[in-house]
Amino acid sequence: MKRILLGLALLFLSAGFAFGQRTVSGKVTSDQGEALIGVTVTAPGTRAGVQTDADGAFQLSIPDNASVLKFAYTGFMTKEVPLTASNVYDVVLEVNLNTLQEVVVVGYGTQQKRAITGNISTVKGDDIAQLPAQSFDQLLQGRAAGVNVSLPNGVLNNPPVFRVRGINSINLSSFPLVVIDGVPTFTGNIGNSAANNVLSNLNPNDIESIDILKDASATAIYGSRASAGVVLITTKRGQKGKTRVNYDAWAGWTSATRVPEVLNAQQYVEVKNEAAANAGLTGPQFFLDSIAGQLIDTRWADYIYRTGFSHNHGLSFSGGTEQTTYYLSLGFTEQEGMIIGNDFRRLSGRLNLDHNLTGRIKIGGILGYTQNENFGPNSGSLPGQAFNTSGAGRLAFVTAPVIDPYLYDANGNRLPGTAGYNIASNNQPGRGKNKQQVGFVNPTILLDYNTHTSEANQIQSAVYAQLEILKGLSVKTQYGIDNVRAENITFWTPLHGDGFGQNGLAANTSQNFQRWNWQNILNYDFTVANLHTFGLLAGHEEQGTVTEGWGAQRTVIADPFFTTYQGNFTTNNPSGNFQGENYLLSYFGRLNYEFNKRYYLTFNVRQDEYSAFASGEKKGTFWGASAGWTVSEEAFWQNNLGSVINFFKIRGSYGTVGNNNGIGDFASQSLYGSGLYAAVPTIVYTQAGNPLLSWETSKKTDVGIVFGLFNDRLQGEYTYFINQIDGLVQNAPQAPSKGIPGNSIAINIGAMENVGHEIGLSATVLRRGNFSWQSNINLTLMHNEVTELYEGSDIFSTTSGLESTNIIRVGESVGSIYAVETMGINPENGRRLFVKADGTVVQYNHIVPTGQSRWTTLDGATASAPSLVADGKVIGPGIPKWFGGWDNTFTYGDFDLNIQVNYAGGNYIYNGSQAGLRDQRFWNNHVDVLDRWTETNTDGTIPRVVFGDNVSNGSTMAITENVQKGDFLRIRNITIGYRLPARLLDRVKITNLRVYANANNAFLFTGYEGTDPEVSTNGNGNATPGVDRNTVPMARTFTVGLNLGF
Amino acid sequence: MQIHKKTATLLLALAALLVPNACQKDLLDPVPKDNLSDATIFATPDRFLSLINGIYDQMKSGAFYGGRFVVYGDIRAEEFLNETGNGVTGLATWNHTVGDATNEVNNLWNATYTTINSCNIFIEGADINRANLNNDALANQYIGEARLVRAICYHSLLRMYCRPYADGNGSQLGVPLRVRPENGPENNNLARSTVAEVYNQILDDLAYAEANLAATNGSALLNVTRAHKNTAIALKVRVLMAMQRYTDAITEANKLVPAAAPYKAPSGVAHELQANVKNVFTTPYTTTESILSMPFTTNDLPGTQNGLGSYYNPGPRGIGDFSLNPAGIIGDSVHFPGADARRQFVLIHTNNKPYLNKFPAGPEHLDYVPVLRYAEVLLSLAEAEARVNGVNQRAVDMLNAVHGRSNAGVTFTTGDFASAADLIAAIMFERRVEFLGEGHRALDLQRLLEAFPGKANVASILPSVPDYIWPIPSGELAVNKDCVQNP
Repeated sequence: MKRILLGLALLFLSAGFAFGQRTVSGKVTSDQGEALIGVTVTAPGTRAGVQTDADGAFQLSIPDNASVLKFAYTGFMTKEVPLTASNVYDVVLEVNLNTLQEVVVVGYGTQQKRAITGNISTVKGDDIAQLPAQSFDQLLQGRAAGVNVSLPNGVLNNPPVFRVRGINSINLSSFPLVVIDGVPTFTGNIGNSAANNVLSNLNPNDIESIDILKDASATAIYGSRASAGVVLITTKRGQKGKTRVNYDAWAGWTSATRVPEVLNAQQYVEVKNEAAANAGLTGPQFFLDSIAGQLIDTRWADYIYRTGFSHNHGLSFSGGTEQTTYYLSLGFTEQEGMIIGNDFRRLSGRLNLDHNLTGRIKIGGILGYTQNENFGPNSGSLPGQAFNTSGAGRLAFVTAPVIDPYLYDANGNRLPGTAGYNIASNNQPGRGKNKQQVGFVNPTILLDYNTHTSEANQIQSAVYAQLEILKGLSVKTQYGIDNVRAENITFWTPLHGDGFGQNGLAANTSQNFQRWNWQNILNYDFTVANLHTFGLLAGHEEQGTVTEGWGAQRTVIADPFFTTYQGNFTTNNPSGNFQGENYLLSYFGRLNYEFNKRYYLTFNVRQDEYSAFASGEKKGTFWGASAGWTVSEEAFWQNNLGSVINFFKIRGSYGTVGNNNGIGDFASQSLYGSGLYAAVPTIVYTQAGNPLLSWETSKKTDVGIVFGLFNDRLQGEYTYFINQIDGLVQNAPQAPSKGIPGNSIAINIGAMENVGHEIGLSATVLRRGNFSWQSNINLTLMHNEVTELYEGSDIFSTTSGLESTNIIRVGESVGSIYAVETMGINPENGRRLFVKADGTVVQYNHIVPTGQSRWTTLDGATASAPSLVADGKVIGPGIPKWFGGWDNTFTYGDFDLNIQVNYAGGNYIYNGSQAGLRDQRFWNNHVDVLDRWTETNTDGTIPRVVFGDNVSNGSTMAITENVQKGDFLRIRNITIGYRLPARLLDRVKITNLRVYANANNAFLFTGYEGTDPEVSTNGNGNATPGVDRNTVPMARTFTVGLNLGF
Repeated sequence: MQIHKKTATLLLALAALLVPNACQKDLLDPVPKDNLSDATIFATPDRFLSLINGIYDQMKSGAFYGGRFVVYGDIRAEEFLNETGNGVTGLATWNHTVGDATNEVNNLWNATYTTINSCNIFIEGADINRANLNNDALANQYIGEARLVRAICYHSLLRMYCRPYADGNGSQLGVPLRVRPENGPENNNLARSTVAEVYNQILDDLAYAEANLAATNGSALLNVTRAHKNTAIALKVRVLMAMQRYTDAITEANKLVPAAAPYKAPSGVAHELQANVKNVFTTPYTTTESILSMPFTTNDLPGTQNGLGSYYNPGPRGIGDFSLNPAGIIGDSVHFPGADARRQFVLIHTNNKPYLNKFPAGPEHLDYVPVLRYAEVLLSLAEAEARVNGVNQRAVDMLNAVHGRSNAGVTFTTGDFASAADLIAAIMFERRVEFLGEGHRALDLQRLLEAFPGKANVASILPSVPDYIWPIPSGELAVNKDCVQNP
């Protein structure tokens, strides 16, 4: 070792002294006139090299024999300038449009984009950092082919539905594996009624790139966990050179869009009294005026939604020396959602450090710490909450407009304190003069008195050491931790709403998710005979995860004074307990081979052992192989097509990957839990295990082309993919009469297929003078089909355990919308017409004289009620069949304009909210109910209203009347920016300053009539996509911001 | 030199790291810390007992005897009016609009069969592992308890999902009859037995229970919260009444009711009426009138929207989903006169509506849920006697025992009843008054094939229409290919 070092030193010395020297200098700028900092300036053939400073200037001592100066800078075309007698060289670098030169992050390493034969989409951190959101994953709509991301609704920090090439499992997770700087992180919602997406702990400002691995070749290196795709997040690192300081900030205003239009008081009284009369009730039941004789017309949505104000700040310092580079950042964001009381705060810090210990040893690490706080009311809009009677989304449209939210004294002043809310002793809003119920609960007091908070602290850290043994041969070890600690706090007032039945409730739970991950990787890159380039990788990885939760729920408040867990309550019970652990042990390898920049081969293999699977079934081996041929490098191509199609590559891959994401830690075991029978302990069957439970595997096939036209002015790629998932871990439905816990056993059975096409184009459409138009467009066509299920049995899935709306059936798309067919209403009598499986049309009348049937055939004969299971039919897929995005950036001088569009469709949505909005209980109705059938409006579109009728409009069973198409096109973002000219900024030592304004969710074009076509009441659930039930709508946000660098 | 050494050390460290640590392999076989493996559940006598208590606790689940099942038994009939319009808390059951996918139709079925499977696992496992208990009589007693709970479960299923026995003497479709443990993916398909076949299993289980249960369980609490010999007998009376086997019902009831007053069970637990009926429903809920009840503590509550008090108590003690129907039995001043002590269970709330006040504990619904009371044995005996022997003194004595306890001013004589029908009608009115809110009314109508009367704007349901019974749940039909829906 000593000898080698000495040799190196001698080499340096000889380079320095063998020839005469001269000093050259100059300034490097972009074609936009900006000074470029950190450009590497070298004199090829010599050892001279330097980087430009903060002004873009350089000074370099070069030997006399140097003939050329080379200027290299990421993202710009490398330029070589012949040396002349002059010692001053001012150079302009042009932006490199050829992204194929870029480096792409792959599993456990990086690769040049041109050499990639797998299928990877990359999103730049800078493209999303300035958009208003709580987490980066919310911002990926339409940004990459094959990747479909949608927001379930406007609840802050609600995890988006994130699908890489569709739904890839039935009972395990279809959420991709997310790896941050090499360490797989936690995903999902860990909050209570305040949603808390774990991924919101990553400050979007810290993201350098997001690489989404889609095919078997790219993902096989993540073997067991790759079925739903892998998302690799790389955080920013420092660059050699002077310290750069960046400050990014935005402020914005958020409000709800497409709030359902409901009846006003006058319309309500008219419709409901008519319904009451039709139901045989005597006299009017609802009144326009209060007991005191004042007219009331309450728009409940005004008491639930607001315009929320948000602001976001990111400050970062980065830079480095030859030995050490660093990136240090701080982030703070404080956001108010569109629902009153729905707030989000995050404070984050990050330090990424890399240090060359010697020429051969590099050490470094990352340290990210985040604290986030989420506050929310019961929005009724998170998975499982859809039918909460205290859900704000539902209360906004269900509550009768004929009552006041508040109570007033004789002088019209609101009564003080809790006396000022219009609530009755039966936990309903006070009825006033009305004779019937007028609401589930009064939302105003709940928004004021109930609290739900979820606070999380996360540390993500990893340290590594890398040793270069020989040139091209290196070993690296990395040890990382990812710890999330969360505290969820709930308080429900005893006065009203959810806490009423328990006379007040306070629940505090603590959750702890701890992971360690240790990787050792041997890498060897070498070239033989200048033609054969090899890249070899061998690795070992271990990962352990421990999850624990505990807490308590206290009920029966001792005194209404108390509002926290620490106050006094008479009853204490444990809540939120869970305890699990899992462990993954893996060995993996990769071979990349490249011949003469034309032919590429990649082979990946990985063996995993995972603790949750049954004894003897823990091990799985996964692999992927791919090949590529850059046809455009061949002489025959260059001589013919080359002038038009300057780059053309054919690639394909095949492999098998696995899925364990979402499986219970002890899923294979048969277990008994212990509880209480009054005061004595019990043992109760809790899980039927499966001694054969093993990996869910998918076979992925991928073929495609990558091309560049007109000197890469138009670049594109097309891919055809097939993903066949076998041995799905299915919670195989067991006949409920068997009494198996949960009526299911996890079994590797069932198969599903996703077949699709991905097209992506990126072009410089126009570039003239100061003006340019850059456009990216992608489109994915997908077909999902369930091909095998346990015993061929259909699986019916429900929204919040109450409403069956989806089916998993062989031959259909997973989670297809399933409903009983209805065919409008009978013009003769205003009754809803239902079609039974055998084609019989039956009609429903809610109130019939004794002895008559509510269900009759058209000729009046008694009929049985339609059954959802027996008479329902598959309407269509609940997941989109096509989706994509179109991103346009226009620049004119110092101005820039970005318009980002995303679209999806081919799917159906069960608009369950519509069933509620037409229900003829006291519930307020959508204005479409004004077109109800009456004796004088026999072609009305809504059945004759009968008070209490919960059947005709779909509250008791899903009906096709409420199924609608989900096609849409959304102008997702419009951003206008202005970059202040350098000549103004130079005087104040500012490198760059850009100001911008953004409209998020600016416009929506859709035929869907519910809140929003992207809605997902059931979140990421595989079995129940495409359901819109009692959820709050989507938000629209306007922001203004700035990016400042110095 | 320094760097050189560091390099070597690092290299060595790296090499060491690359050799995977063998002891980490243990991590591949984690054992849950908060659950027991199925292999160990019969390992100790204490675990036998915990399993038995687990069976009772499953029967006590909120969807079943912990509350909802009892509520359904009342709200299908005419005594209650819906106040909240909430589909989650029995609206569809009340207005007879349940379908096969309605949550309560599925949830009750699931809870009942979950309990049945636990019984089956215990009945077989306790027998195989009886050596671990080392007490044969106790093993048989435990098995008897499991069989008794299984009988309750099957009878409950028949009540909700099947045509009454009276419709064709049990020849109609019953439910899938499962009497073996289910632990694996086999046996999903099982056709429905007939109503009679299920009843035979119930009677078989009860006969075993009567033979093997303890005469008493040793404490007032255990005599009410776990089954003993008299529990099995009383249950037989109920089941035989539902089968209209009145003579057999008399035979069984007579085991518990001496020929002459005082009426007090002559053997086993000394069941008898309490002087004040209110005492039965008051802490500690363990009088000898209660034959079987479901207990609660603050650490084991019925759960949200399950407790009887949640349904029947107005706020703040409950949600008050159902008020009493003024046109129901409470409006009948002849059979339920103002002087009747049971009027104390009718509360006029501040909204001027009557509510049931039998289970007043709230907001925590700690009131025990009555499953079987001695009063039921007496009134069943009265009814069976009247149906078999016409107007007779024994029947009138039984009626007087129950009625007179709460309305001392009235003593019936045989002369008050012109016909057996008159006497039976009086007994049925007495049942409505006595068991208001205890879940009996729907069964009493159905076992006699009588219509559900109309209420508010809900029409009467005749025994001939499909809505007279619940449909087989969609969850069963989707998987059990041999199970057919009710016609």
